[in-house]
Amino acid sequence: MSADEPLLEVRDLKTQFFTAEGTVRAVDGVSFTVEEGEIVGIVGESGAGKSVAASSILRLVEDPGEIVGGEVRFKGETLVGFEEGPDGELRERDEMLSNGEMRGRIRGREIAIIFQDPMESLNPVFTVGGQLQEFIEINRDLGGEEAEQEAIDMLREVGIPEPEARYDDYPHQFSGGMRQRVLIAMALACEPSLIIADEPTTALDVTVEGQILDLVEDLQAKYETSFIWVTHDMGVVAEICDRVNVMYLGEVIEQAEVKDLFYDTKHPYTGALLDSIPRPDETVEELNPIEGVMPEAINPPSGCRFHPRCPHAREVCIEVHPENRVVDGDGTPHRGACLRHEETFMAGYWGSDPLGNETQGETDPELTTDGGGSDE
Amino acid sequence: MLSYTVRRVLQAIPVMLGIVTITFLLTDAIPGDPVSIMLGPSPSAEQAAAIRAKYGLDQPLYVRYVNYLADVVQGDLGRSLYFGEPVTQKIMERLPVTLLLLVSSFTFALATAIPLGVISAKRRNQPTDHVSRVVALMGVSTPSFWIGLLLIIAFSFHLNLLPATDLIMPWADPASVEGASTRWDVLVTAGEHLIMPTITLGTLQMAAVTRIERSAMLEVLNEEYVKLARAYGVGESTILRKHAFRNAQLPVITVVGLQLTQALGGAVLTETVFSINGMGRLIIRAINNQDYELVMGTTIFFGLTFVIGVILTDLSYAYIDPRVTYGERE
Ligand code: SF4
Repeated sequence: MSADEPLLEVRDLKTQFFTAEGTVRAVDGVSFTVEEGEIVGIVGESGAGKSVAASSILRLVEDPGEIVGGEVRFKGETLVGFEEGPDGELRERDEMLSNGEMRGRIRGREIAIIFQDPMESLNPVFTVGGQLQEFIEINRDLGGEEAEQEAIDMLREVGIPEPEARYDDYPHQFSGGMRQRVLIAMALACEPSLIIADEPTTALDVTVEGQILDLVEDLQAKYETSFIWVTHDMGVVAEICDRVNVMYLGEVIEQAEVKDLFYDTKHPYTGALLDSIPRPDETVEELNPIEGVMPEAINPPSGCRFHPRCPHAREVCIEVHPENRVVDGDGTPHRGACLRHEETFMAGYWGSDPLGNETQGETDPELTTDGGGSDE
Repeated sequence: MLSYTVRRVLQAIPVMLGIVTITFLLTDAIPGDPVSIMLGPSPSAEQAAAIRAKYGLDQPLYVRYVNYLADVVQGDLGRSLYFGEPVTQKIMERLPVTLLLLVSSFTFALATAIPLGVISAKRRNQPTDHVSRVVALMGVSTPSFWIGLLLIIAFSFHLNLLPATDLIMPWADPASVEGASTRWDVLVTAGEHLIMPTITLGTLQMAAVTRIERSAMLEVLNEEYVKLARAYGVGESTILRKHAFRNAQLPVITVVGLQLTQALGGAVLTETVFSINGMGRLIIRAINNQDYELVMGTTIFFGLTFVIGVILTDLSYAYIDPRVTYGERE
């Protein structure tokens, strides 16, 4: 691994599900990087492909899903890598790790994962301590007693009171928040370089969520582990992430540092997501849910996939498909996939006729007038 | 766990009481007069009265019920009218035969069904899975007596390999077993006699357990905790053996428990097909002879077996799943 290579590099990753209704392009050409010690967010509505992207990194996509293209490099190893064969077909490259190597060298040991539902992620018929100990034994080559000690220490570290006494308790004797702490302990105890957290606080109530986020921030600072944080909640992104990827229908449509994303939003979808965050100064009735439902990834809309819901959509958005590009090069590059950035995409957005989506629902009037020409 | 066990056993008492009561009332409602069966078609009035008095049949229903209940509680199930022996003695004579049959057919069923179900789930939708599913489907839809008859025709009449009737107890005295001089001979003979009845009775269980084992394993293999184990580098065989297997046995136990009680019915048929003198044939003979004490006794005994089966199911459940007994401890 060369010095300037990021810890994890995902390039043009494609994962598809082959169903009876058709091919679902769940992840459709996603690229992003994770640097050492960084928390990178993947945010989007459910169905945007963010969890599939996360599980693709560990090659844990389940049937009928399959990684069909792209590259995932981690610490100089090729977790996913395709090349064009002599007959033009994509095939796996030789240096791509075998399944056995993924299991023995990567999963748990180098990249650990925390799942969404703490109630379902622990096996109900084994003790919490036993499960933790098993993963430590496998991934750190420790003997039973050392692993047990390690497990107890880690339970204490994540704030489980009296870990020695709770060691032999079963999962159902823990609350949801405590179980999520156990799962965090599992991930950290394996001493991985990267932890993928797949909506780990979604199933928890707000107070507990806050505690868990604080805990992760503290532990992240202490262990300097990198994180990929998958969530649909911009509030969580704001609290915990350094950089963010916004996903819509299998694509990353905006990529930026958190503060840039929040204060210099480049994509209307991100804007809509930000509008849907509950704020203390708004009651629930005043929330701005995003208009419309996300279309199916089997038959994504033509052109810009967001155009059926986008308040700024114009004729050109139906025809031209914007890939995300650097739209603001100051500091860390800010990437966006919206034709309104005419200087980057040059598709003739401002000369195209509006589709009139804004009349379908109440959209933020400010944004609409803003889109009316000030950027030109 | 101990307090749970005690509680489950105590809960069984009213159930048993109910079984005894219903059995008593139903038996009383059976048409036909046991006295006429004992004495032939036209007994003299005095003879009939004497018999009625001897067996307490001249007393009103509730008195007979209370007396019977008192006897049952003391372990006395009355006397068989036909055999003239105590019902309990008759049961104890026949019980080992039926137990041997049940144990052997369940061992056969579980020993084949569990691996078959697990392999089927592991190789889902592959040839192994298809074959095992077809076999299981045939197994659950074929009547056991028919399997028994086919086996007899093939292996006894045509091939002359296996005996078609009777069971030999493996612990029988060599002297009492035809053609046997050593313990080993007895064991071999007992085994030969046991093979066909075991398959006859066990096929249904095997098929039912295979199906539930497969579907339970498939379900558990989809659980988040299995995915988590996979994500932490646990190998597939460990996942099957450890992470998935134990959980998957919960529905299997329920089915095995149900099968156990169904197998009592199956034993009646199997014993009839193979002329085995077990509990099944005893109960049929009792019914044919209107031997009402024996009918009641065997029915109550079957009821008891059923209740024990349910308790064992619950206890195994509690043993496997810690959530079941949770809340018991202070
Ligand atoms: S490209 Fe067009 S439809 Fe897509 S986000 Fe931009 S304005 Fe909206």
